[in-house]
Amino acid sequence: MTTTVIGVDVGGTFTDLVLHDAATGEIRAAKQPTTPRAPELGVLAAVDAAVPAESLARCAHFVHGTTVGLNALLESTGPRESGPRNREPGVEKPGVEKRGVEKRGAVVGLVTTAGFRDVLEIRRGDRDDPYDLFWTPPPPLVPRRLRVEVDERVAADGGVVRELDPAGVRQAARLFEAEGVDAVAVVLINSYVDPGHELRVAELLRNAGFTGPISLSHEISGEYREYERTSTTVVDAIVRHRMGPYLHNLDRELRARGFTGRLLVTRSGGGALTLDEAVARPFETILSGPVAGAAATARLSATLGIGTAIAADVGGTSFDTALVEDGRLPLLFQGEVVGLPLQSPWVDVRSVGAGGGSIAYVDPGGLLRVGPRSAGADPGPACYLRGGAEPTVTDAALHLGLIPAGHISGGISLSAGAAARALAPLAGPLALSGTTGPPGPTGIEGVDAVAEGVIRIASAHMAQAVRGVTVERGVDPRGAAIVAFGGAGPMFGCLLADELDVDTVIVPPNAGNFSAVGLVQADIVRSAARTLVRALDGEALPVIERLADALFARLTAVERLTAVEPMAADDVVREVDLDLRHRGQEHTLTIPLRPGEDDVESITARFSDAYHRTFGHRLPDPLEVVTVRATTRVVLDADRPPVPAPAAVDTARNVTRLWSFRRRAWTEAPVVRRSAVDGPLEGPALVLEPTATTYLDAGFTAEAHPSGCLVIRRKDGR
Amino acid sequence: MRDLVRTRYVEANPGLAEGADPVTTEIIRQGLNAAADQMKQSLIRTAFSPIIYEALDFAVAFYDADMCMLAQAPTLPAFMGTLGFCVREAVDGVGGPGALGPGDVILYNDPYGTGSHPQDAAMIVPIFHDDVLVGYSAIKAHWLDIGGKDPYCTDTIDVHQEGTIFPGVKLYDAGRLVSDIYRMILANSRMPEMVIGDINAMVAGARTGAEALAALVHRHGLGTFRRSVARMYAHGEALVRGWFERLPDGVYRASSVIDSDGVNDGPIPFGVEVAVSGSSVTVDLTNCPDQVGGPVNCPLPSTVAAVRIAIAFLAGAGEQPNEGHFRPLELVTRPGSLFHPVRPAPCFMYGIPSDHAIELIIRALAEAVPDSVPAASGGDINALVWWGNREATGEPWADGAPHPVGQGASPSGDGASALMYISESATRFTPAEVWESRNPWRIERLALAEDSGGPGRHRGGLGLDLSFRVLEDQYLTAGLARTALEPWGLAGGLPGRPNRLTVEYPDGRTEDFSLKTRIFLPKGSVVHLRTGSGGGYGPPAERDPLAVLADLREGYITRDHAGRHYPHAF
Repeated sequence: MTTTVIGVDVGGTFTDLVLHDAATGEIRAAKQPTTPRAPELGVLAAVDAAVPAESLARCAHFVHGTTVGLNALLESTGPRESGPRNREPGVEKPGVEKRGVEKRGAVVGLVTTAGFRDVLEIRRGDRDDPYDLFWTPPPPLVPRRLRVEVDERVAADGGVVRELDPAGVRQAARLFEAEGVDAVAVVLINSYVDPGHELRVAELLRNAGFTGPISLSHEISGEYREYERTSTTVVDAIVRHRMGPYLHNLDRELRARGFTGRLLVTRSGGGALTLDEAVARPFETILSGPVAGAAATARLSATLGIGTAIAADVGGTSFDTALVEDGRLPLLFQGEVVGLPLQSPWVDVRSVGAGGGSIAYVDPGGLLRVGPRSAGADPGPACYLRGGAEPTVTDAALHLGLIPAGHISGGISLSAGAAARALAPLAGPLALSGTTGPPGPTGIEGVDAVAEGVIRIASAHMAQAVRGVTVERGVDPRGAAIVAFGGAGPMFGCLLADELDVDTVIVPPNAGNFSAVGLVQADIVRSAARTLVRALDGEALPVIERLADALFARLTAVERLTAVEPMAADDVVREVDLDLRHRGQEHTLTIPLRPGEDDVESITARFSDAYHRTFGHRLPDPLEVVTVRATTRVVLDADRPPVPAPAAVDTARNVTRLWSFRRRAWTEAPVVRRSAVDGPLEGPALVLEPTATTYLDAGFTAEAHPSGCLVIRRKDGR
Repeated sequence: MRDLVRTRYVEANPGLAEGADPVTTEIIRQGLNAAADQMKQSLIRTAFSPIIYEALDFAVAFYDADMCMLAQAPTLPAFMGTLGFCVREAVDGVGGPGALGPGDVILYNDPYGTGSHPQDAAMIVPIFHDDVLVGYSAIKAHWLDIGGKDPYCTDTIDVHQEGTIFPGVKLYDAGRLVSDIYRMILANSRMPEMVIGDINAMVAGARTGAEALAALVHRHGLGTFRRSVARMYAHGEALVRGWFERLPDGVYRASSVIDSDGVNDGPIPFGVEVAVSGSSVTVDLTNCPDQVGGPVNCPLPSTVAAVRIAIAFLAGAGEQPNEGHFRPLELVTRPGSLFHPVRPAPCFMYGIPSDHAIELIIRALAEAVPDSVPAASGGDINALVWWGNREATGEPWADGAPHPVGQGASPSGDGASALMYISESATRFTPAEVWESRNPWRIERLALAEDSGGPGRHRGGLGLDLSFRVLEDQYLTAGLARTALEPWGLAGGLPGRPNRLTVEYPDGRTEDFSLKTRIFLPKGSVVHLRTGSGGGYGPPAERDPLAVLADLREGYITRDHAGRHYPHAF
């Protein structure tokens, strides 16, 4: 039987759906407004609107990217606070806004080693903002009275210094009972070396009658650093409370509509987890939001043979970027969400507060600033006519003709008049405070100048983020190709190319839904890690391999527990990676290990090459192993979806007036349907498709590629 | 008596800002800050010493051709703007700007130009655009050891005991390593391998920064770049002036006492005077003793930094600072005094007077802006430096870290518990599990100190109780300040607790230390560090009874303490 795969990604503004039908090769995309209070409603609305019943019945995998875990965490952290200071109006930390109605977050209890009750609250002593005298950390996720010490101690080498006192655990159980604790996190010092006491604590809690979920730190992370591991374990306990009911409910609703396949949930570290596993290890999903776009970029660049690609995803509230080398996702092993560290694999996607909804303002010193505050989906940019009055990036783009006036997807009507009215008030302060001399080189002024400035500053923000992800990995962005997607990504492709001196921009098919395309290509991925600090020598290799085997055994056990159907037909790939460093250094690089084949010399050579690529020099110092990582990857769909051209859209006009940034002037330009682009199309032009608009500036040429991509080339550097 | 010295910043290129457009200026401003951040990331990822990559004990910044600060990445506020002196001295040392060429790297660590001890070494890379010198990238970072009588000193009597001084020398000349200098560095360090690693990291970082800045100039053209930079300084200046204009004109004063100079017993009193006139501010630090015999003298660059930090915390609008932010400030000092020592006064522990001055300047302004000033914090970084030889292998080891303190309560709320002192606000202390995997220690306690927060309408933040059991013989140098002075409360709030270090020897004997070099710790000793807490704000009788009960419920205070200070809550 031919099957379908459905991917649904819940973003801050829109819920995106992509359906891939293997029978017809068809890719169908749909967008619905996100329903923050009950995200499943938006998901189901997208399914109802875009997926025929018989397609849903044939659906083998329903891959879901969700922010439910993140929102559950935000309910527990509450808004960030800071004291009095003369912050500029409108300047806030970029970050995730709290959404939805107030719900009660899970009440979590924490069991710690005697003497370490306050680790969660003491943190590492640093401030998010080093220049904020009044900075105060968010309240700890577990209040002090629910953090209970038990007498026990394990040394850094695994030796038991003090046996566990069972009476203390029973006392903790009684307190948790009395306080109505929903879930317990257990984090004992050095448990990453020997988990015996943590396992015993869990057993004693059960014997004492505690029936809620228990998160043990060595199972959640297995890595050292007690604050980071405590934070991760507590986050797991908190989001577990919400994630299980949400996913089971969604699964039930889908099955009621005839779905019989596997519900998968995307991981922060790429790939997806099965439903049961996502319920059991929900912290692994928490940073998955921006990953799907990077994953789709990785798949696309592997298909097209692009060595270095830069994912450039411009959405309503943020710009997300990632560096993809040779089709591989850039992985990190510690993330941070709302100021809380998470020891979990995650794809290195950087987010800056520069999206279509980012608000522009003039600061008290007279400079034009853009973001990070965003008008979001509600009220949205002024041109949406939904009550937004502050000027946004979208308003500037509309004013400059970078997006055509009229309708965009989701039934929102754009008003050029409202955009201009919102931008106009900035013209005065800018001219007064800075441009006291003659007007700019082309004599532009007023609203045009403001709009152009807003777009230039937004592009510069985005370019800085790209420089961050590339330069930090020792990569020169000039040799890369930009893959531009998201609702507003294709609008910024040429601008980013000029900012970064990049000659190729690729606009993938279904550009506005490209992140969701990444979902339908996901594999099932599981991973586990253990810290093992020791010299990398001949004796180390057998130890590493034994440890890797133990980690795989654990993953296989999880696999058996959570598989909803036999996996025999699926192709399982096993990978071992080592975090290595030069002795004396702290920061590690993660290097793949070929068990059985590798010796110390070959590993050292591979590390040295990676070190040189990243830091520009080699060191003779001996290596140290820090962490062993095991990953299994179940490849679900060997046949990658073809990518047909998207459906045509009607364009009311075929010539428009738009602003050319290169010419710094208004110009007449053709408006072309994407499906109509075949031969080289010279900029300036606008290319329309249902979910995005591509802005092609003068000096750029676009061509349709057999893959369905629009390939834009820069004819000359500036 | 010598003439007083006035340190101030005037516009280098009046009129240049006119005609700069506010959009390009904003783009260049962002570009400079981002490039500084790239330089910082490069250093963190490649450094060898935990004191750089973990404690972030370094500063990175860009200066323009006139040695005005273009941008500094957020790292140690204590180093805010201090690199300016050091760039000037370093460039003078090698013969002035005319003697510089592409590929040069200058090394400089003279305490009187860096403001700190010789361990804080700076690398300066001149940046060229079409053969025109357009600016400098500079990194100052803490080397684990560059000579000196001990790896960390609290008892030096002149600067020559504190380390080997490089008064501006080329480490790279036109891209080639100057091996004479390199060998001298290695010969003068107790830990040459660590220092080599850090030198490589600093050079790579400064070069990364230089390339990023050159690219920025190239992208916009030199003329536009210079105009926009002038406009950017004007913008920074306007932000800070905007804040000072709100202050009532007047002269504001505060005074305090430093524990001792580390060599001679006896307190060291000093005072600050802040004069506000319109949007300009003059800080006078002449009310202090002549330079002292122990290493708590504060060289001028660090005195300047203290003033800038205090002002930036109050008025900087949370922006990354540039030269413009500092233009409304003038500093008055007296050469030969505690805050403007002259060679060869020892200054290894310069951070003690500098950190103290920061909080005192802020306190002085409490009268002018009561809403914006918190009570005192624990007031120190509580630096501990450890070393020894491993029992099993004889291998030498060393480690060191700052430790967090409670923050002062403010008009808006309780003080935060256990944060690094504001001059080192970006630093972090090391996790116990990392410490135990590396050093012969067992951490027996890492806890908030109950009842330590100064009582008040708003409570001071709690200090930290930290106990290290040493598993092998080793040495400790204690660099604690404010062990005698209680962190002050404000507006009727009560004081918090001062810092305290107690060594409990295996035979049961105990001894307290504040500034002490090379304390021998026999195996089995326990070191108890009790860091200071924050002072309270407002009378305790005005504390919301519900807040008292919540503190009691969570165990931040005991029943006893609550009954004594907040009887109205019961």
